[in-house]
Amino acid sequence: MSIVSLSKIKKADMKSAIIKSLNLIGYQFSRDIQRIVIKPNMCYYWDHSTGQTTDPEFTGALIDILRDNVSSETEISIVESDASAMKCKHAFKFLGYEKLAQKYNLRLVNLSEEKSDPVKVPAGDQSFHLMVPRIIQKADLRINVTKIKYSLEKIKITCALKNIYGCNPYPKKFRYHSKLNQAIVAINKAMKFDLCLVDGNIVAGSQPRKLGLVMASKDPVAIDSAAATIAGVRPNTIGYIGLARQEGLGDTNFVTKGESLDYFKERFPRKDAKKKIMSQAYNLVALLKLGKKLGLE
Amino acid sequence: MKKIKLGLIGLGFIGKTHLRNSLRLANADLIAVSDISKRALNDAQKLGVKRAFSNYEELLKDRQLDAVIIALPTHLHLKCAKRAAEDKKHILLEKPIARNVAEAKEIVSIAQKNSVKLMIGYPLRFNAIMSNLRGKIKSGVLGDVAIAHATYVNPGPFQHREQDYAPTPVPEWWFNKELTGGGALIDLGSHMINLLRWYFGEIADIKSHLGYRFNLDLEDHAICLAKFESGTTAVINVGWFSQEYQLKVELLGTVKHAVAQNIPPKRISAAIQMLTMNTTPFWRPFAVELEYFANCIANDVRPSPSGNDGLKDLEAIESAYRNSIQLNEIS
Repeated sequence: MSIVSLSKIKKADMKSAIIKSLNLIGYQFSRDIQRIVIKPNMCYYWDHSTGQTTDPEFTGALIDILRDNVSSETEISIVESDASAMKCKHAFKFLGYEKLAQKYNLRLVNLSEEKSDPVKVPAGDQSFHLMVPRIIQKADLRINVTKIKYSLEKIKITCALKNIYGCNPYPKKFRYHSKLNQAIVAINKAMKFDLCLVDGNIVAGSQPRKLGLVMASKDPVAIDSAAATIAGVRPNTIGYIGLARQEGLGDTNFVTKGESLDYFKERFPRKDAKKKIMSQAYNLVALLKLGKKLGLE
Repeated sequence: MKKIKLGLIGLGFIGKTHLRNSLRLANADLIAVSDISKRALNDAQKLGVKRAFSNYEELLKDRQLDAVIIALPTHLHLKCAKRAAEDKKHILLEKPIARNVAEAKEIVSIAQKNSVKLMIGYPLRFNAIMSNLRGKIKSGVLGDVAIAHATYVNPGPFQHREQDYAPTPVPEWWFNKELTGGGALIDLGSHMINLLRWYFGEIADIKSHLGYRFNLDLEDHAICLAKFESGTTAVINVGWFSQEYQLKVELLGTVKHAVAQNIPPKRISAAIQMLTMNTTPFWRPFAVELEYFANCIANDVRPSPSGNDGLKDLEAIESAYRNSIQLNEIS
């Protein structure tokens, strides 16, 4: 059974909350690490106040911790890839990561422009031809710094596993949306991350809310299962979580350490019945391709 | 009455709105479109447009055309308007008229020289709620308006875009100051400045504070303080930073106060309105604007807002950029 830690950000001190979370799962950084890759969530150009993207201050607090624990020579890279609607060069700038890179002497890497190697990865009843960026292959430590969000798509919520979907260098990711559960799992099989951290300071539930949550785990399936539980969604109803467990990416059974999971679950901004119905109706309109006729796009 | 023959140049976000509306006009026929996107041209032809061109210069050669709607990115306005005027086509040009005052003056001058009508696309002028507010000012029911607050905030270029249900990237020109002439102030501020000039007349002085929340090379929000010759002082807030749309004008008069707000319909009511009326009250001003433009041509009337209006709006905006002030921390 995997451990998921939960800690509360007190007095805006993100660094202490991250350290506490890491201590609770017994995580220790090796001083021999040469190359670190950090993958924050930059799904679009919405800034961190919306709860949709990782707060650069949170990533900065993590880098402070890394600088305290690993060699000063260690190369730290922030990675993201172009997406159907989002361009990395803009996301790094607009979301404050260029400033962060200057402050901490980081590399900002657009994975869509990096050298990559092809792999064929089966996941469930599908098989995917993917490209794996060499910077991810060669990293000694890969850290997934993600968000908890409800998703408009059928996958219900997105957290650690979905964030790695953004490491796929192929920009037109929308192409995978018809088999999203399998694609998420395949990409996670091709690019395994060592540590997952959730920036739950602001979460994007039915509306953004300051939750002050930090989660940590070495197991992306466990942390996603815990995140789903906090968001009021049963993990076994989320296709990619079940498939990730079947494919050996982690365990849906987890134990929590630190703050009570119920404390955050009670405060998470859940979708009410009206929003659930609206979400279903919108999916139906999209399915029937009625958007243009109804003026919804 | 003779129906005006229209051409539409540019099938981007606002061009598509003009496309839908111009196909339903009683006093005009849309007979040609141009765009660099083959998909957009195909879609327009499926809707019934007879001629589609990938180059607007080909469209302008069409002798049947009386007028064109130019819905191109701002950096292309001057060249396209110049060609249209030289080809004796009346012009409805999307706001802002140009990237800068020098270009705007050239556009106005070319239109005058070629005796073509030039109208600038400011749909708020055709919005019933905003017109009612003007009626209240002109009737005196508010007394003298001492203070006006005008706010226009929306996602701007960050609006999530889709094409056939697939997300599409923001066009690069949005983030290039050379191509746009500025950020939220020229994009959204031009609407508000034009509206307030319609209400209160010419601006005597204007200052601005520009904000850069998204670390862009151009401002993503701005606050302007404007003094009108009529005595009204206005605060204009514009921004691209919000996921939520707000367009609101509040007038504080010596007798009464008044507020006008342009609220986009909720998804369900928009869908019902589209099914029953083929438009929504929110989008209706764009259709009224086109109908008015076609009437101006048919009746040989000078349209308003004119090219000169667009020029004066841009002069105020350039002045606001020049007179921008920094707000420092209290020491």
